[in-house]
Amino acid sequence: MGANKNKSMISRITESRNFGLILGLIVLLIIAAIITPSMYSVNSIINMLQNNAVYGLLAIGEMMVILTGGIDISIGATLSLSGVVCCRLMAENPDVPSIVWILLALVIGIICGAFNGLIVGYFKMVPMIATLGTMYAFRGFSFLFSGGEWWFPHQFTEGYQAFATKKIIGLPSILWILILVFILAIIFLGYTRRGRRIYAIGTNKESSQVAGIKEARVTFLAMTICGMMAGLAGMLYTANYATCSYSIGDSYEMTAIAICILGGVSITGGKGKVDGVIIGFLMMAVITYFISLLPGLSVWSDAIQGAIIIAAVALNIFTERSAAKRALKERSALI
Amino acid sequence: MSGEKNTNTAPVRDLTVKQGFNLGKFLVSWEMVLVYILILINVVLMVSRPNLYFAGGTIQSIIQSGMDVCPLVLGMILILMLGDIDVSVAANMIFASMATGLCCQAGVPVILSVLIGILAGAICGAFNGFCVAYIGMPAVIVTIATSMLFRGIVKIVLDVNVLKVFPSFYTSVAWLNIAGIPLALILFLIMGAIFIFILQKSKFGRELYIIGNNATCAEYSGIDVKKTKLTVFIIMGAMCGVASIFFVGRMGGSVSSTMGTGYEMTAIAICVLGGVSTNGGKGKVYGPIIATLIMAFLTYTLGLLGVDANTRKIVTGFILIIAVLIPNVNKQLLDSLKLKFVYKGNKNVEALNVKTAKEVKALKETIAETRKDGSLSESDKNAKIKKCEDKIASLQRECKKQTEVWLSEQRDDQKKAKERFAAK
Repeated sequence: MGANKNKSMISRITESRNFGLILGLIVLLIIAAIITPSMYSVNSIINMLQNNAVYGLLAIGEMMVILTGGIDISIGATLSLSGVVCCRLMAENPDVPSIVWILLALVIGIICGAFNGLIVGYFKMVPMIATLGTMYAFRGFSFLFSGGEWWFPHQFTEGYQAFATKKIIGLPSILWILILVFILAIIFLGYTRRGRRIYAIGTNKESSQVAGIKEARVTFLAMTICGMMAGLAGMLYTANYATCSYSIGDSYEMTAIAICILGGVSITGGKGKVDGVIIGFLMMAVITYFISLLPGLSVWSDAIQGAIIIAAVALNIFTERSAAKRALKERSALI
Repeated sequence: MSGEKNTNTAPVRDLTVKQGFNLGKFLVSWEMVLVYILILINVVLMVSRPNLYFAGGTIQSIIQSGMDVCPLVLGMILILMLGDIDVSVAANMIFASMATGLCCQAGVPVILSVLIGILAGAICGAFNGFCVAYIGMPAVIVTIATSMLFRGIVKIVLDVNVLKVFPSFYTSVAWLNIAGIPLALILFLIMGAIFIFILQKSKFGRELYIIGNNATCAEYSGIDVKKTKLTVFIIMGAMCGVASIFFVGRMGGSVSSTMGTGYEMTAIAICVLGGVSTNGGKGKVYGPIIATLIMAFLTYTLGLLGVDANTRKIVTGFILIIAVLIPNVNKQLLDSLKLKFVYKGNKNVEALNVKTAKEVKALKETIAETRKDGSLSESDKNAKIKKCEDKIASLQRECKKQTEVWLSEQRDDQKKAKERFAAK
């Protein structure tokens, strides 16, 4: 800490991880401005963010799990399950007030997440395999509940759609929900005891257990929050697009993980901040939107996303290594 | 307290490896459990649809239906053995099929184009391996990204077209029977035998076990961990190329960019069901081979019993979870549960009960020995047995008494503690 204070403001800024991310974002925006100037209108930017907001919600949930050192690949299936259940019940009972559905979505997400948390936290299953199994299971339940049906805009009630599309002070409500989630996540991870415990477990399991933190409980909490976010995202997804089938949310977990990694969350756990994830989310939104605007490039989107993830992780590892080297040098200089 | 067997000399540690064949252990080993499950599924199918089961060709077609993932399973065993994971195999397989398909379309000789397909798979695998081993990226992330990348490349090249020109032997690999045995099964067993040899008998295979158990330890004992990892990923990639032969044949000789999603998950699920630990360093090739057949029979049986595709997904998911959970149910877990519920968390009571149980067992053995002993007269025998039985009864009585005393003490303490806190 003492060494940090001596540094100049500029070197502190350039050494922070977010600096690289913001620089990348700016470069991307400039390229976009040259090639597709039509991207820069308030409407299209809001539109872009609105369509990507679901990824932001998923990424915040996924981040909690990755911080504990685990991974959750069942969130796409959870999203589909909660979306299908809410849509079907909403279409059958249009008179029920819409707030019920958002609560129902949260409850479904919490149940799914808690099941994951139970088998990962308390039964000590490998997170990747456990959530792989539940991914199959949730997706199957989603299909069973939907009966293979589709739901179209005319079946959606206005109150239901308002949760995503109603404009409040110029922004659609889904963005307000996203902003609220971001703020809550910053407070939870930064300033509450339980949030700090998530970091502690991810950094070093043994020492945090010695310090009296119950690992199983923290993992359970993180996975439950992740499920809750996925449930909420499922309801908002259907409300935003006003269509729904059991196949929604396919491979969304990969995009959520990609956003986390772009945002500097270490996959081995214990490192990463919400502001980084927010920048990662913005970056991913700009990239996908940018690609969709270029004619004939839509088939490239998968390949470009994959390449960007690899580049981001490699960059992450190199910066971490160089930081470790620099720290070692500073320490040896002190001696 | 068993008396006679006590000696004062410390036992010499026996360092020779005991590899005696133990029938009891063999019958409850995971591989045998898998065989039982396979037989059970067969019986269920036989009883529920006897006409179909005994009709010619049913079993062959069931086995053929499950064979298109088999090369992926074999490759995945090696990857999981390292403690890594590869979820890009399906995309890699499609990439390899695309390479072969494009070559065939351009009129390249058959053998060359098949080799080019396998080579393309191996190159993709090498890219994964380079990122994981030499850059040090986590395998999950790399392979998630490369699965997007490979499939993305296929999408760019093929767009919405379907490749239809493939060597004619592709379809016969997937559909032909030789003397009633599916050709795919024969090839699978041959490949399985090679992998058994690699993993169990070769130096390379034994190194994989060491790396999976403790990579640092392996590094210090002179194993080039990075090179081995890269080799394993290249083998996995080549197996993806081989899998493309089975897969394209199964699909009737055509390939498009959206085919084969979810194959990576099936392959991993089969490996886990086959007893390969995802933490690395544990597992054999026999298990996954049997598990591949189980998966084929299970999918087919559920389909015949009128269960639709998505319910089958639920079943697959839960089978996966249960298969991983079962090895966790071991003696340690049972003991801790017993301590919690039978002995109310009191370790003194547990220790006393365990000790008494041991002594009673020893005494019972003495009784049995006395009964068989021919040198003693009848009355002597009876007297000795009587003595032992009395001892057992008294031991059990004492144990019960002491247990009750301790438990009541514990209850009193808890009551007192509660009162104290309530008073505050």
